[in-house]
Amino acid sequence: MLRIEHVSKTFPGVKALNKVSLEVHAGQVHAICGENGAGKSTLMNCLVGAVQPDEGQLYWENEPVSIRSFQQAARLGISIVYQELSIIDSLSVGENIFAGHPPLTRFGMIDFAEQNHQVRKMLVRLGMAALDPGQKTGLLSVAARQMIELGKALIVRPRLLILDEPTASLTDKESKVLFSIIREISQQGTAVVYISHRMPEIMQISDRITVLKDGSYQGTFPTNEITVDQLIQKMVGRALTTFQAKSHATSEVVLHVQNLSGKGFQNVSFEIKKGEIVGFAGLVGAGRTELALAIFGETPALSGTIELEGQPFLPQSPREAIQKGIAYVPQERKWLGLFMEKSIVENIASSQLEKGWYRKHIHEKNAQELCRNRAIRTPSVWQQVRKLSGGNQQKVVLAKWLNTRPELLIVDEPTHGVDVGAKAEIYELLKEQTKAGKSVMLISSELPELLALSDRVLVMYQGQIVKEITREQATEENLLHYASGRTDSISSP
Amino acid sequence: MNLTKHLQDRVLTLGFTTLLLCVLMTIVFPTQFATVDNFSQILLNLSIDTIVAVGMMILMIAGMFDLSVGSTVAFSGGMAGYLMYYHQTPVFLAILAGLLGSLVIGFVNGWFIAKGGINPMIQTLAMMGIVRGFALMLSGAGIQNFPYEFIYIGQSRLLKLQAPVWYMIGTVLVMAWLVNKTVFFRRYYFIGGNEKAARLSGIEVEKMKIWAFVISALLAGIAGILLSSRLGAALSTSGRGLELRVITAVILGGASLSGGYGKIGGAFLGALFMAIVNNALIIGRISGYWQEVILGSILITAVGLDQWLIRRSQRVKLKS
Repeated sequence: MLRIEHVSKTFPGVKALNKVSLEVHAGQVHAICGENGAGKSTLMNCLVGAVQPDEGQLYWENEPVSIRSFQQAARLGISIVYQELSIIDSLSVGENIFAGHPPLTRFGMIDFAEQNHQVRKMLVRLGMAALDPGQKTGLLSVAARQMIELGKALIVRPRLLILDEPTASLTDKESKVLFSIIREISQQGTAVVYISHRMPEIMQISDRITVLKDGSYQGTFPTNEITVDQLIQKMVGRALTTFQAKSHATSEVVLHVQNLSGKGFQNVSFEIKKGEIVGFAGLVGAGRTELALAIFGETPALSGTIELEGQPFLPQSPREAIQKGIAYVPQERKWLGLFMEKSIVENIASSQLEKGWYRKHIHEKNAQELCRNRAIRTPSVWQQVRKLSGGNQQKVVLAKWLNTRPELLIVDEPTHGVDVGAKAEIYELLKEQTKAGKSVMLISSELPELLALSDRVLVMYQGQIVKEITREQATEENLLHYASGRTDSISSP
Repeated sequence: MNLTKHLQDRVLTLGFTTLLLCVLMTIVFPTQFATVDNFSQILLNLSIDTIVAVGMMILMIAGMFDLSVGSTVAFSGGMAGYLMYYHQTPVFLAILAGLLGSLVIGFVNGWFIAKGGINPMIQTLAMMGIVRGFALMLSGAGIQNFPYEFIYIGQSRLLKLQAPVWYMIGTVLVMAWLVNKTVFFRRYYFIGGNEKAARLSGIEVEKMKIWAFVISALLAGIAGILLSSRLGAALSTSGRGLELRVITAVILGGASLSGGYGKIGGAFLGALFMAIVNNALIIGRISGYWQEVILGSILITAVGLDQWLIRRSQRVKLKS
């Protein structure tokens, strides 16, 4: 039904897709798996017209097509359910499901009777028969909204349905409904592309599996001819990063967290020692970022204790945390880390806005020095950060925080969207910190990164730390194993 | 490339346009336009607006605005006038009360916006009505017959310029200097640039927002005292429409509704430009109705040009 040939896409600094070919058949469930950054999302965006490939050709029923927009994809019969919700909270369930294309009466008015009728039928299919179609979606749970998102994709009777990590926010009950719907529509001839890195699901639902790794195609396999272990091997099997510096961990505890609970995580206990890098592994939504934000005071924890260098410490604002020597390099640098329209100088100065005079020349000198030391490549320190590459932007954020001389540096996905060269420089920089006796809390979804840098890795799953793995024992396979909740010793609540 | 950059600096382009307009007017109306008296009048006319515009600029740098400043102008003048006329309060204390009242207005605005999460548009729109109501209660149909000391504040002259002009110059210079040189005011550029990142950088965004409204309201209060002193009367209708005029001036002066941009000098230039355009229309005997049409068109042109330049510079970047 859909064939992709040799599709490539390069973003500044990253080759997101490298000559990927793929065939999707009607009536089949085609899983696409790969690690974060493997190119799954880019591939999917090419299919719905959100991203234009640099090279390669798409064929729809053996006709060459170039999909330029969502509208065009929709006309072909391609429907997508994104991981992030696209439903509008202030509108009702019914309005969201029909998303601007409600059934009309002869006079061109909205046919509410028909809309309600169809919505009710859809809700029954979604296993949410009790829900009132007139209910505003803002009050519903994330899982319910995710199901409505699915309903929105199904109502147009797509010929190809793309699902991106559909179960990330679903409970078991809803996942079962989802699977039965997938089976039902594929029997009716709809092709389903199922993107996930949850192995058990993929094995359960798919007919064929395509593996991507670092943007390149690793092969397509019939599901019944491959095992989970073989798949994981294919996903991660790469030449290991040579970066494996020696540990600088001491026995002195810097951060001691006990039974900490808050929004998105429960009963978390761990400690970080001076000079240690502690890695945090887990899937998206496992509660790692929420935990970091609580330690940083942005969303204060609800219960539990934190001790910083032996002193009780419960920050109520980032400012308090910064004053105590904590720095947080956030996950989404463009939204949370940077002032995109401002210069490098101002960005670096932004963590140093304590009382007094604004000393522009000192900030400028400081920035020049940091740019040199941190290899931030820019024509001038007054360059707008927007105009820098992803890697250089990330180095600016790191420079900004290192400038505060933190005792504990929390980094959240520090190399996301960063090219290989800059990655190595960022690793170097983190190691340098530990050598100077500072500690690092490293949140990352890139397993090789965790393995290369961490002295210990804590694996989080559904808001809890489910496993601690030492540097010696850690492998990509066992990290992935615990992170996807496939644990023998812990049962999820 | 460098030209594009200069074209994006509103203080430069607006300054140049203003200058051009002045030169043109001098050539066409040499005896009427380029006189000391005319300029002293222009400056007097824009002085109240400019003082309010300075406060508005700070708010807009932080990505907010205040619609209640016009009412605050009427309120502070009314408050001082009421106390002086009905209670024979000493001039100094009456002024202090007016300013204190403004400060409270600013605090209430800031508190509800920063802590209560109310949208600035809604909060200050509501406050605009509430404060206007209080101003009406205080000054009713208008209060006159102020003590000489009070009149003196707004009507004395120095070097051919009336007092409000000097207050304006002082306000612009001091605030421009503070905004440039102090960390306190610099933070507003960060808050306007990216509020979330500012919070995560350790800036106490909520507190800073409240301060911005307090400062802006205080400046509006000062403007209110000056206005009633200059007019020799506290009118409940004074400052009507002032808020939109001031926002226009500030945007012309280089602020953006989304925040992060702007200079105090820009607020002054915006107000100056508007005053000169008005003056030119009066001298050119063009109907006053056209004034609003022309200012509106200028605003759209200026902002439209900006957007075009931004898009152009981004396209250049993509190509390279």
